Amino acid sequence: MSHEGSAGGAAGDNGGGLPRIGVFICNCGGNISDVVDVERVAREAAAQPGVVCSATHMFWCSDSGQGIIEQKIRDHGLNRVIMAACSPSLHEKTFRRTVGRAGLNQYLFEHCNIREQVSWVIPDKELATQKASRLVRAAAARSAHLAPLEKRRIPIHPSVLVVGGGVAGMTTARDLAARGIEVTLIESTPFLGGRMAQLHHIYPTGQKARDVIGPLIREVTSDPKVTVYTNAQLDQATGFIGDFRTTIRITPRGVTADCADPQAAIDACPEECLDQFNLGLSRRKAIYLPYQGCYPAEPAIDWRSCTKCGACLEVGNGKGIDLEEQPRQVEVRSGAIVLAVGLNTYPLRHGEYGFGRFPEVITLHQLNRLLDPSGPTGGKVAIDGRPASRVGFIHCVGSLQRKGVHRPMRDGRVNDYCSRVCCTTTMHTAAELKERYPRMLVYDFHEDIRTYGRRHEGYYDQVSQQGVTFIRFDPLRPPRVERDPRGEAPLVVRTFDRLTHGEEIEVPLDLLVLATGLVARDMSKLVDLYRCSVGADHFLMEVHPKLRPVEMASAGLFLAGTVQGPMDISESTAAAAAAAAKASALIKAGEIELDPFVAYVQEEVCSGCQVCLTVCPFSAITRDEAKRVASVNSAVCTGCGTCAAACPSNAIQQYGFEDAQVKSEVLALLEEPAEVAAVG
Amino acid sequence: MSGNGKLKVGMYWASSCGGCDISLLEIGTRLLDLVQIADVVFWPCAADFKYADVAGYPDGHLDACFYNGGVRNSEQEEVARLLRQKSRTLVAYGTCAGDGGIPALANLVTPEAIFKAAYHDNPSLDNAAGVEPQPEVETGVGTLRIPRFYPAVLRLGDVVEVDYVLPGCPPQADRVWEAIQALAGGAVPARNGEVRVGCADRTVCDECSREKRLLKIKQFRRHHMFRPEPGWCLLEQGVLCMGPATRSGCGAMCLKADMRCEGCYGPPAGVEDQGAAMAGALGGLVDAATEQQAQEIVDQIPDPLGSFYRFTMASSMMKGRR
Amino acid sequence: MADRTNGRGKAGSWEPRIVGFLCYWCSYTGADGAGTARMKYAPNVDIVKVMCSGRIDPELITMAFSRGADGVMVLGCHIGDCHYVSGNHKTMVRMPLVRRLLSGLGIEPERFRHEWVSAAEGEKFSRLVTEMTEQVRALGPLNWPLRMRERGVGHGQDLHPWRGGEA
Repeated sequence: MSHEGSAGGAAGDNGGGLPRIGVFICNCGGNISDVVDVERVAREAAAQPGVVCSATHMFWCSDSGQGIIEQKIRDHGLNRVIMAACSPSLHEKTFRRTVGRAGLNQYLFEHCNIREQVSWVIPDKELATQKASRLVRAAAARSAHLAPLEKRRIPIHPSVLVVGGGVAGMTTARDLAARGIEVTLIESTPFLGGRMAQLHHIYPTGQKARDVIGPLIREVTSDPKVTVYTNAQLDQATGFIGDFRTTIRITPRGVTADCADPQAAIDACPEECLDQFNLGLSRRKAIYLPYQGCYPAEPAIDWRSCTKCGACLEVGNGKGIDLEEQPRQVEVRSGAIVLAVGLNTYPLRHGEYGFGRFPEVITLHQLNRLLDPSGPTGGKVAIDGRPASRVGFIHCVGSLQRKGVHRPMRDGRVNDYCSRVCCTTTMHTAAELKERYPRMLVYDFHEDIRTYGRRHEGYYDQVSQQGVTFIRFDPLRPPRVERDPRGEAPLVVRTFDRLTHGEEIEVPLDLLVLATGLVARDMSKLVDLYRCSVGADHFLMEVHPKLRPVEMASAGLFLAGTVQGPMDISESTAAAAAAAAKASALIKAGEIELDPFVAYVQEEVCSGCQVCLTVCPFSAITRDEAKRVASVNSAVCTGCGTCAAACPSNAIQQYGFEDAQVKSEVLALLEEPAEVAAVG
Repeated sequence: MSGNGKLKVGMYWASSCGGCDISLLEIGTRLLDLVQIADVVFWPCAADFKYADVAGYPDGHLDACFYNGGVRNSEQEEVARLLRQKSRTLVAYGTCAGDGGIPALANLVTPEAIFKAAYHDNPSLDNAAGVEPQPEVETGVGTLRIPRFYPAVLRLGDVVEVDYVLPGCPPQADRVWEAIQALAGGAVPARNGEVRVGCADRTVCDECSREKRLLKIKQFRRHHMFRPEPGWCLLEQGVLCMGPATRSGCGAMCLKADMRCEGCYGPPAGVEDQGAAMAGALGGLVDAATEQQAQEIVDQIPDPLGSFYRFTMASSMMKGRR
Repeated sequence: MADRTNGRGKAGSWEPRIVGFLCYWCSYTGADGAGTARMKYAPNVDIVKVMCSGRIDPELITMAFSRGADGVMVLGCHIGDCHYVSGNHKTMVRMPLVRRLLSGLGIEPERFRHEWVSAAEGEKFSRLVTEMTEQVRALGPLNWPLRMRERGVGHGQDLHPWRGGEA
């Protein structure tokens, strides 16, 4: 974990002695040299103090280019290297390695961006060349103050905490355990399975959801490498990549395996409430099991509904039931954390498309519960006992919303994204309806249909052939849902059909199903505990959607599944597998190398005023009581440099961004080049 | 040194309040020790020395000269050059000589505005003719010359080479005595720029014993607005204490008396701009959740320039107002 | 107005000299985005990269002005988007303070601009740079070093070795 400046290689003198700077200017195959006079930049660079060589090349990042750099470092005994080329985000690492191969410490390198921030944005050749020259001059001035640095090495605790016991969390846990890694899986509700357990048939295989997730639950819970906590909430967290310490709070479930006859206890319970598992379509007891075959097999007590009347205790002497058990806390240590907390369905407002006003308006998820033979109606599509023979679906409810058309959410924004899974689910469900009830009239009200996935389009074709009627509405004039004034049907949907050039049509329905979109959960706890970055859509953000799709900016944190945005089960499990692979690569490496740009304290000028302790976003600074100075934990420090700016005596500095380095860069930018004196 | 083996020392009062001359007396009975080891050869405040006397000394005649005050007019510059020539060691005594001090806050206004305030808008003044002092005035008996008023207050180091800076407003007596003893012990001119003596590299917080609770500032308050809790960091209580951005050496005297540090010892080692350093620290200490809150709390600071640069405007990055 | 040339732009002309302090994760990446999209903007803002806008010490700003900058820009992640969680909260407090200090020093508010620019806001970045350049151009050179030299301040000895060789 050392970041002390120590000589690392053979060539040059690794920073000691006077600067011997080499400046390398890249043509970037014309991307730069078409606008910037690179030869002039090289000439002007050569005149800077300390610069002993400067050169241009068509592509310094090419093998031959890098070879030349290595050769020049050796030939000229360079101890500083400046690369003026593309953005450092592309090739800074490449050239640091080049420098390292030549035996020079890789942090005696300075990258200067003259493509994205010069040649691509400044059309005027003279102005672009002047700017490139200025930036190179500043880099040269800065480089004189560089010192050799070493990457930090941080050991990784060989275990992973997976947050969320749905299909993504369990897939991650299974894959990690299969690689021999200890996993702690926590689930905030009393039962594993997440949203998938509530689904009925799933596309694109048509299997029953529980037939797929059941084996996964068994696999995870029977694996000795996996410790499962249900009813477990995140409480506190400290630590950092390699050594996270997360405290979880476990709410007692009230019932243990010792309970001989759980069903009798359930039957004894006098308290009823809406069954959330059936999405409010049925009622259940305060002591309950969500479905047959759930895990754990013991019922749980819903403490919000339980009045602690004691009726359940009268069954079998109350053995295995404890109404007074207190929550307990467990500290979980892990080297990495995978977040798989899932998402929510769009919260319909009262009256939105008649929802809440008319019992015949339900969501697509509720319809899935109705179709389930073990569901509230035993698999019948019926409302209050009345079977439905005319069923309509409305797409994009809570998705693809438009400002000005849809009422904004509490934060002032509308859900303008596509929720991805609703179209195919609608087609898939409509197909099942038509299979079960060939004479049922099924109408599909859509703005657009996106059956984008592999084997998804088949469902569209299928329902088209099954005789589902498609009606395309204008998103600016969405369908209206009313009671049928003639009393022929419970509901009537009025809309303008764009497929018949805006004809206003009226469709009588027994049941209207809203394909509600998917929204992010409340991430505030995760943000609070793990400094997660959250996107404008409120889902958690990856570092890069293509290059690092399951990693978070906070090192050691990974994303699995729909915590990151709407996904179907296949995508969720793919993301989960990727998160598991990334996390296990980290764990198996045993240690991690991090950039050395952390803060350090010059103890001789530190007064122990503790301003830095107050400003550090990561609590990486503590006070050394014996010396009465600040002390930086370089494993925790993320290298933001906020403390360095705050330190009123400049005693805290940041490697790579020391005062002398940044200030000399600023001064050099403001310097007027020599020939200017003549002009001025 | 004199033939009697004693040091030859001098002291001069330029653009300052006179507190520095008094601070020399603050060494108390040690004054008796001082006259045992030193002869005073120039101290206009205490005895009737003429500039001509000094001009008559050979170069390097004074072992040490303490120059207090900044340079605001041509007389002060002239004397500074003279004393530099006649002194082996030139000490910028006090913060005015070292960093401009409080008089350098005048660099935030123009000389014209100063004259207007002093000679026209002054309520105790009867100047119907609107007379202003002129560098040269013809009178019946010849040309009367007074020193020329400079456009800005300068540090002593802006006009001559300074060996040591002894900061403080005024320098603390024990530090003054230590400096005199060092000179008596044969300390030689630094010859490598202005070396700060009679102070440490750290800040007042190093010498302050008040407790830090790592709390952020929710509002700024001044001493007259509340009674600060004794023993608790004043800055955390919302008092704009300059201690974190001020060089130590004073022994945190003000803080011991429950008063905030005003910053008189100037910036600590490694800091060029005391005010900017303080602004940087405060930025991290203010507890604001939104930009509007941040602005509201920042707006509570009365006279930020006067508070942050009370003693160091002339040595700050910006030096003064445009 | 003294010194209408400063060796930038075409011979004998004056071009605003603006230093832009940008955080790496949002604003610098946003600037790269403007480049990748080939947006054209004024060449006057020279970027100094820091990892977080929380690193931007007010001393860097006063130094830039005192050493000849005609304008200074500070760009960081939007509040809530900071890669370092709350580094930019410190910027949020420091910059109003800096603005008050600068106004007391007689520096026009248009010479100092503090904005939030995300990694996706290349367009905003390029617009800000051009706007800033034009508003500073309208004000003309600040010429702080020359002004202070004329008043006689600051030509003393150099206390700070890293300034090496400068007057």
